[in-house]
Amino acid sequence: MIKSILIISFLSFSLAPSLNSAEGGPCKDYGDCDQFKPDLNNMASLQRGVGTFMKYCYSCHSLKYSRWGRVANDLQIPEDIFFEYLVPDQDAGPFDLMVAPIHELEIDNAPPDLTLVARKRTSSWVYTYLRAFYDDSSTTYGSNNLVYPGVNMPNILAPIQGNQKLGCKEIPVLAKNGGEKRDEFGNTITKEKCGYLKHQDGSGLLNVEEFDEFIYDLTNFLTYVGEPSRAERERMGVYAIIFFIIFTFLSALLYREYQKDYH
Amino acid sequence: MVTKVLNWINYRLPIINTFERHLSKHPVPKKVNFWYLFGALASIVLILQIVTGIWLMMPYSNTEEGAFASIEYIMRDVDYGWIIRYMHTTGASMFFAIVYLHMFRGLLYGSYKKPKELVWIFGMTIYLVMMAEGFLGYVLPYGQMSYWGAQVIISLFGAIPYIGESLEVWVRGDYYISGITISRFFALHVVALPLILIALVFLHLVALHEVGAGNPEGVDIEEYIDEDGVPLDSVPFFPYKVLSAMPAIGVFGLVFCIIMFFFPEGGGYFLELANFEEANPLVTPEHIAPVWYYAPYYTMLRAIPDPLGGLIVMAAAVAILFVVPWLDRSNVASIRYKGILSKIAIVLFVVSFITLGYLGTVTVTETGKIMSVICTVMYFAFFLLMPIYTSIEKTYEVPDRL
Repeated sequence: MIKSILIISFLSFSLAPSLNSAEGGPCKDYGDCDQFKPDLNNMASLQRGVGTFMKYCYSCHSLKYSRWGRVANDLQIPEDIFFEYLVPDQDAGPFDLMVAPIHELEIDNAPPDLTLVARKRTSSWVYTYLRAFYDDSSTTYGSNNLVYPGVNMPNILAPIQGNQKLGCKEIPVLAKNGGEKRDEFGNTITKEKCGYLKHQDGSGLLNVEEFDEFIYDLTNFLTYVGEPSRAERERMGVYAIIFFIIFTFLSALLYREYQKDYH
Repeated sequence: MVTKVLNWINYRLPIINTFERHLSKHPVPKKVNFWYLFGALASIVLILQIVTGIWLMMPYSNTEEGAFASIEYIMRDVDYGWIIRYMHTTGASMFFAIVYLHMFRGLLYGSYKKPKELVWIFGMTIYLVMMAEGFLGYVLPYGQMSYWGAQVIISLFGAIPYIGESLEVWVRGDYYISGITISRFFALHVVALPLILIALVFLHLVALHEVGAGNPEGVDIEEYIDEDGVPLDSVPFFPYKVLSAMPAIGVFGLVFCIIMFFFPEGGGYFLELANFEEANPLVTPEHIAPVWYYAPYYTMLRAIPDPLGGLIVMAAAVAILFVVPWLDRSNVASIRYKGILSKIAIVLFVVSFITLGYLGTVTVTETGKIMSVICTVMYFAFFLLMPIYTSIEKTYEVPDRL
């Protein structure tokens, strides 16, 4: 009886997501976000990430819930080196919050704080967004973004990434059953679809793979700063789980032993 | 020495007698299944919520400017603050999961049947207070979803005719959600409702111990007793019941830790992603969804186009649970001995409740709208038709002993 209830409930739940097709993906015109797997124990990556952040992002974006000292400590950067090379504000101390100079002025429409951006929008979104800028002469800054159409931010990393434009490509036409449509000779029928990012090779400081890695490190750092205790949390979790497995096993043995009293 | 002290106290305050009567020697049915473990787990989560709540209160700031930042302060600067907060947020979701399973157990095995009506009603009141407690707590971090969720819920009061608008202002303490609202929600969340909750749990247990715990067979174990008046089919609470709960606590701890340490956001269902942004009264989030445990009722609210009608349906959906003891006319308690109609009804009920829950977390579509109306009707049909199908169906004979 209970089994059938559970099976039916499970089935009704697993069929339910098909109702959900009307919702658009978080990466908008880009399609599905590129999957990002953070590596929070990779200190070299995080150190490169904080370097990139301080050099390119910090002039406009704060990390106002995070403190300098914690970041230096977590990323294993000696404090004197950290403050000498990475922190532009001479008066900043380890217990100060990482507030960008622009946010100390009271201005409307200030660029958003990025401490929690990777938690609010997910790391995959950040990773995709930072690689989805393209030239668009119709906007104020001459650039636009597939993930965040109409974003009010200049393509600050353009010299590093190089030129990226929207282009078209031939994609297979899909039949109603989901398979590719073919003509009478068995060739796939294609149609032209536009709105794809096209990178101009050699136009930037880094090539495509190097730039992806560059953004990986930056996203990895933003993932870290969104939840600095995450690496420790996952480490501790393993021990907690081992404890409860042993606890369950031993208490089950004890329970079985005592159950003999009344069975 | 210890015995002497205990006897001295017991002479003046009946601690030993109470301990024996309600804990160590309390007789419980010897054969129950896993459905009977959720009550114990619920009390463990309640204690966990109270303890972590006290620690969270210390660094939390109940002001409009400080609330959101103080949560991040807990997550970053307080030693192990993150673990305390995740325990509290995971605990909230787990509390509801356990209580829903506990309530479902009640429906399956007729845990509301005479003489357990009051146990059931106290339990339902606990559930009602928990819903309020959960809502108030959700507002405190003052993220986008806290703000807009509160906006939606408080505006429900506005749907009440004549007094609605003034009631809204009275609840908020202001013309819009502000620091006043946060600090009063804080007071209610950490003092008023927990006190009521503890009192209700106490009454729930006292009433239960008065009439005795049930079992999946629906057998009254009090009918066969030994010369000391102890039911023959019972075992003392300590050590047997405690030991049977231990593996369950272990499995529960395992599930809890997997969520807390590896998926604290629960895929956006336990901690909604939009709540990682500070409340902004000027920007409405794209999609306002309640936390999963309110989702079924939220769907019912949305299924009715008229706000007052929606409010009435939603309130009725909870209220109807209170009268279940009088809706069930069956001569047996357990689903095992009920007829086919009851079995079909409970399956349809589960399907409708889960579908309602799912629909509450996604954006509205045309199919979704129709489904939500159908499921709302199914939900109410389960209760309203209960007096009919439980009295006409043929039931099976209940055994004498467990």
